Amino acid sequence: MSTTSMRPCGDFRTSYQQDNTIFETKFIWLLAIASVGLLCLAPLFLDEYFLSLAIQVSYLGIAALGLNILVGFTGQISLGHGAFFGFGAFASAWINTQFSIPVFFAIPLAGFLTMAVGMMFGLPAARIKGLYLAIATLAAQFIIEDFFARAEWFSGGSAGAMAESVEIFGFLFDTDQSFYYVAIFALVTMYLWGSNLMRTRDGRAFVAVRDHYLSAEIMGINLTKYRLLSFGVSAFYAGIGGALYGHYLGYVSAEGFTIMLSIQFLAMCIIGGLGSVKGTLMGVVFMVMLPESLESVVGIMKETSWGNIPAVVDGIAYLKEMAIGLVIILFLIFEPEGLAHRWAQIKNYWKFYPFSY
Amino acid sequence: MNKVLLGSLSAVSLAVSAAAQAKDEVFVGHLADLSGPTAFVGKYYADGVRDSLAYINKNGGIDGTTVNFETIDYAYKVPQAIGAYKKWKSRKKMVAMQGWGTADTEALISFAAKDKIPVYSASYSGHLTDPMGKNPHTKKPAPYNFFYGASYSDACRALVKWAADDWKAKGNKGKPKFTHIGANHPFPNAPKKACAEYANELGFEVMPSVVVSMKPGDFKAQCLTLKNSGSNYGYIGNLGGSVLSLVKSCKTVGTEIQLMSNIWGGDKEIFNAIGDGVKDYVFPTMTPFWTDKVKGMELVREISKISDKSGQKARTHHYVRGVCSAFYMKEAMQWAKKNGGITGENIKKGMYAVKDWEPKGLEGACMPATWTAEDHRGINTVAIYKGNYVNGEVKVDKVDEVTLERRDDWLGY
Repeated sequence: MSTTSMRPCGDFRTSYQQDNTIFETKFIWLLAIASVGLLCLAPLFLDEYFLSLAIQVSYLGIAALGLNILVGFTGQISLGHGAFFGFGAFASAWINTQFSIPVFFAIPLAGFLTMAVGMMFGLPAARIKGLYLAIATLAAQFIIEDFFARAEWFSGGSAGAMAESVEIFGFLFDTDQSFYYVAIFALVTMYLWGSNLMRTRDGRAFVAVRDHYLSAEIMGINLTKYRLLSFGVSAFYAGIGGALYGHYLGYVSAEGFTIMLSIQFLAMCIIGGLGSVKGTLMGVVFMVMLPESLESVVGIMKETSWGNIPAVVDGIAYLKEMAIGLVIILFLIFEPEGLAHRWAQIKNYWKFYPFSY
Repeated sequence: MNKVLLGSLSAVSLAVSAAAQAKDEVFVGHLADLSGPTAFVGKYYADGVRDSLAYINKNGGIDGTTVNFETIDYAYKVPQAIGAYKKWKSRKKMVAMQGWGTADTEALISFAAKDKIPVYSASYSGHLTDPMGKNPHTKKPAPYNFFYGASYSDACRALVKWAADDWKAKGNKGKPKFTHIGANHPFPNAPKKACAEYANELGFEVMPSVVVSMKPGDFKAQCLTLKNSGSNYGYIGNLGGSVLSLVKSCKTVGTEIQLMSNIWGGDKEIFNAIGDGVKDYVFPTMTPFWTDKVKGMELVREISKISDKSGQKARTHHYVRGVCSAFYMKEAMQWAKKNGGITGENIKKGMYAVKDWEPKGLEGACMPATWTAEDHRGINTVAIYKGNYVNGEVKVDKVDEVTLERRDDWLGY
């Protein structure tokens, strides 16, 4: 009975297998399947605007999960994630046009190429940590950004690179409706893989490295290997996310992959919850939706007769930018453990209701 | 009784909604950078576009059709530009868009082409000028992209041509040295190669480029490099605070170089901000200045009153370019209305309908432009101005007007 309902009060887990399960009850498992089914039906009732937001959540979400594996699970830091995201976009376009490899295969290949680059820049992690590592990865951001502008053979230099649409058996995924399925497929696959990774020996090793590196080493965990591997996995995710972004837009320009993007990825992880897979997705949805919802408020104001004059539009434009900053600061103060923590608290509240203690 | 009331109310509301639907209007999206990294000039350009669209509506719209428009400040962030575009396209049936920078324009090339929505941007990258992908160098054809003005590459070529004449006019002998100054970034780099090739053709010695950050800072080291290399002509690819810092730093160091900038790197606002140090600073424009006595500027001043009732505010040349961009779109829409209706596809055709075309009332303010289905270089004439700061006042004089030939190998490059 307990397996078909929501999880009952008390903790009945008696084996490691139960403890490690992704879907705690059959009901949650069915709910997850139903949600994915519902997601697949979304293009039937959502317009292009919402679909484009969902696609944005997908490619940013994949990349952000990569960063959360590095920062939240392994306790490393990276300020170069935006550059790796860009590298994935260029790499996939390059693999596709240069070697005539279909986009469907170019995307994972771009992931592996980005993984190699990520591990190269992650090498200092074997020796340094904390602020020092942050600065080392910041250097990666600048080096890769400069590389985009110079390496014409790879990125097209200042003119940028064109990226073909995804094509499978002659069917072109070049509209929002069709690309949405590619994005959702990638998102679900990468998140399932991410959740699974955390249950494996390697995933536990990441957490051990984060929690106490000395104890981890005493337990026989090879610190260098796992720190480097974490950089690799993180860059792989960034590469896949970037490649999807490139093939969605059809055009990749170096302008989009600045340090601001790297910081935005960090913000997504912190707002969602460090060390939480589902929290990452919550953080991404939050960061994508916040400017859009503020824009809707601004849009409603602009519908009024007094609202659509330049002085007011400019004024609210600044307010909008400030509000985004303010919300992030408020989050860091009042919800430092992120949305995932808040979600857990909401669930607990209902589980114990009306006995909150 | 209540039923009667309810019935009449619903009938009235139906009639109102039907009337609203019958209202003749089309939607134009307007992306602007009012608070992002390029807001320094972005807000002037955006003012030009907004005031023009409001002025058009106030004066009969597109032959009776109202231009319903919305300005969204996307702060130079690509995801927000895509979001706005999708919203306009799917919910408001956008027929054309007024865009802004390199990042958003390039991100939207494919979408615009697929959706057949003309995008009028203020990104003058050369590769946007090849709609058919005729030049083998063109990475991606941009059939639905238009801009008013010469491309960055053409403007730089015009400056180099002016520099070559200037070198001779001053009676100098030997090969003059030319240096590209700017950040290693798509916007400053856009004309770098094309310009260097033309400089070589004209007999310049092209020096290694000097990298100067887009953000303001202390650039004395870079100015010393320019001084030591003995560079005679320097093209500045940056804008705003970076240009301010560079000019000030080079004045301190005493660099003897003829500075030339791209179209965003020189205007009266920046010269006022720099103050002492602006000496014979050469920059291109595509429009006259606010105070110039040109017939077309009378309409520009009228348009300016939309957001400045007093009519006293002096606008930059970026504002005038915004006006031109909106008015070319307006006349293309008028053509479309007469030839099958205002749709994106017809507006595009409208852009090709006339040769040597100046929008009505803006003669002299916007240069005669010609777009064809195979060549989106609307303008290949560049007016060159010289800025000076004398006794606390900015002085700007026209020094030359260079008309470049429409070379095939320059299309899209």
